[in-house]
Amino acid sequence: MHTPRIRWAAALAGAALLTAVSACGSSDSSDSSSGGSGEKVTLTYRLWDEQQKVGYEKVMAAFEKANPNIDVTVEMLPWDQYWTKITADAVAGTAPDVFWMQTSYFPEFVTKGVLADLSPLKLDTGKYHKTVVDAYTYQGKLYGVPKDWGIVGLLYNKDAFKKAGVEMPEKLTWAPDGSGTLLETARKLTVDEAGKHPDEPGFDAGKVKQYGFGSWNHYQTQWMNWVESNGGKLVDKNFGRYTFNDDASVQALQFGVDLVNKYHVAPPASQTNLPTGKMTEMFERGEVAMFPANNALLPFIAPEINFEIGIAMMPEGPKGRSVNLNGLSEAVYAKTKHPAEANKLAAFLGSPEAQKIMADGGYVFPALVEFGQNYVDYWKNSKKLDVSPFLEESKGTTYGMPVVTGFPGYEPKLVQIFNEMYLGRITPKQAADQAVQEGNASIG
Amino acid sequence: MTAPRSGSGLGAPPGSGTAPDAEEPAAPAGPVGTAVSRPARRPRRGLRGLGDLHAYLFIAPSLFGVLAFLLLPVLIVLVLSFFDWELLSDPTFVGLDNYRRMAGDGGVWRSMLVTVGYVLLCIPLQTVLAMVLALLLNRRLAGVRFYRALYVVPWMATPIVLGLTWKWIFDPRDGVVNNILDLFGVTGPAWLSDPTWALPAIALVNIWQYAGYNMLFFLAGLQGIPRELYDAAAVDGAAPVQRFFRVTLPLLNPTMFFVLVTNLIGAFQIFDTVFVMTDGGPSHRTEVINFKIYGTAFREFDFGYASALSMLLFVVILTVTLVQVRFFAKRTTYDLS
Repeated sequence: MHTPRIRWAAALAGAALLTAVSACGSSDSSDSSSGGSGEKVTLTYRLWDEQQKVGYEKVMAAFEKANPNIDVTVEMLPWDQYWTKITADAVAGTAPDVFWMQTSYFPEFVTKGVLADLSPLKLDTGKYHKTVVDAYTYQGKLYGVPKDWGIVGLLYNKDAFKKAGVEMPEKLTWAPDGSGTLLETARKLTVDEAGKHPDEPGFDAGKVKQYGFGSWNHYQTQWMNWVESNGGKLVDKNFGRYTFNDDASVQALQFGVDLVNKYHVAPPASQTNLPTGKMTEMFERGEVAMFPANNALLPFIAPEINFEIGIAMMPEGPKGRSVNLNGLSEAVYAKTKHPAEANKLAAFLGSPEAQKIMADGGYVFPALVEFGQNYVDYWKNSKKLDVSPFLEESKGTTYGMPVVTGFPGYEPKLVQIFNEMYLGRITPKQAADQAVQEGNASIG
Repeated sequence: MTAPRSGSGLGAPPGSGTAPDAEEPAAPAGPVGTAVSRPARRPRRGLRGLGDLHAYLFIAPSLFGVLAFLLLPVLIVLVLSFFDWELLSDPTFVGLDNYRRMAGDGGVWRSMLVTVGYVLLCIPLQTVLAMVLALLLNRRLAGVRFYRALYVVPWMATPIVLGLTWKWIFDPRDGVVNNILDLFGVTGPAWLSDPTWALPAIALVNIWQYAGYNMLFFLAGLQGIPRELYDAAAVDGAAPVQRFFRVTLPLLNPTMFFVLVTNLIGAFQIFDTVFVMTDGGPSHRTEVINFKIYGTAFREFDFGYASALSMLLFVVILTVTLVQVRFFAKRTTYDLS
């Protein structure tokens, strides 16, 4: 397999040439791949989100207007098929020129040479959210143009709060010993069929009408946040090893489980465990009052509910607030036939012009931090929803998903182990030890 | 496609058995250089070639399908099982390493056990149920056609859709099953996340889906049993139960053979229901071997090892099938005349 490497080198050379050309300002177009001589080039851009596709069609129209010699075909594949197809395409050498990349697959793709080094684009990385930039940096080089980010916040049922006569505290807090305003508030909002709360005698945990909080086995919106805000660390570094079985992490995991099995303010794991995940539905039906979720879920949840939704910042732990912020990036295929044009498109997708379109349309929080407010404005004006707590959180401490090879294969194992933990069949210490061991064994 | 040509198989000379051809094969095969025999043999040879060609033309579409989409992939999987291939990087030859790794991989043997458990839960119940349904519907009764069709409906539905529907039926909180149990004051388990109940629940779905379909074969088999045999048995004083065990069951052997072989192969390959309903959980209790292969290939990108596991499954199924062939070979009569 020598050809791919040569093509890869050609891609790099092409990219280098592009920057050389633009840096010198010379318009010498003897290089055929730059397509400057009126020859039309068609690029393929692939994504997995139907709603965002509408936004990106506007973005592509702007790009094509500025680059009349480049046509862009936007391809949409649903999430499940996206990764199977793009992996097969990468094997066959026919992946799209530019495509969406996500943190769990990034390590595999970057270490196997599928992604082009984008340092020739000379992006001003300081303008993008740092957590996103870090996620797509490998051996000091950027392999994805930061596209957007989604962050976990606390959605809550304002009607349920009103009915219970409870105010959402200024600041939610939690601690491993059960102190703090989160548990206190959750208790007030948990009622059984006889109207009793979990801290009252005669409370029947088997017949709960409404739960105060949704605690369940969902890593991104749940236990990872408890771990990080208690001073635990998921991984020692990106492309490093899993470390969430230290004392601080185990304490944090215990808290997540206690909310369910000890304090009874969250539905039992037998109902919420993956793949029988029901928490979103229970929140939508008004059976769970507080529900941590990624802002990307809003467009799907908002039409399903008939109560007033509120958004708060995630609870602060003993080590403050630390929230999961997960970003996507625009990757350039290392073996693209049109490296110069693909790089041009990738650079455009990271430009203020493109990211402003996506923010103004309320599709995503753009990776360019300057346009975060535009997303907030869209939701305020069009949907009457104050999403500013998400933006506020993003300015504080955030952490990304673990960027480690082998995650797609590890994920189902991790989920199964933690399912047992939430069911109370194994202790958080056992679960964490087992999960960390499996995780580190899966690193390729 | 060749089956309807009763009497002669593909290998037989074209037109054998018809009167004009009957004399021809008697011609000497040796290279006799006489002027008489040559013209007589030439057209025959040409005709035979043409006949073969026709036959091959007729089977070409399905032959191509079998070769390109069945045999070739199988061979590729066999070859891949000797490689380490993480999909995105180049394959490297590792000899028997994948097979050595398999021998020491507890996860694989756990998956094999789960698979065998599933087969044992599924096949006996499914076969008995199909047989009972066939016996019930093999009689003159009003609306019998409607019932026959009704029982086959689950088989026509997409497994994924069925899986999703049953997932809802088994839902611990909102599911039909537990809500009915609730009426009787019984708290049902969280079926699909309960280590004890998850596998039986999946087996139940598949039994339900395929019992009606298998009933069709038994029904066809039952209707092929000559009435006289029952009359004779009745004359000899055989009770209904004896008639079933002495007449019906032995004469259903060809059907039983077909049903068991195809169902066992299908059961060893169970995947879609697991994929939709439990994702292999809880604690690997429903992680059947085919699901393990899928995870190894498409989640862990370990294609070489996944290929080796596929070969293991292939050998297991082949062995089980051969055992069945031997078992039934001694006990089956196809000819009732």
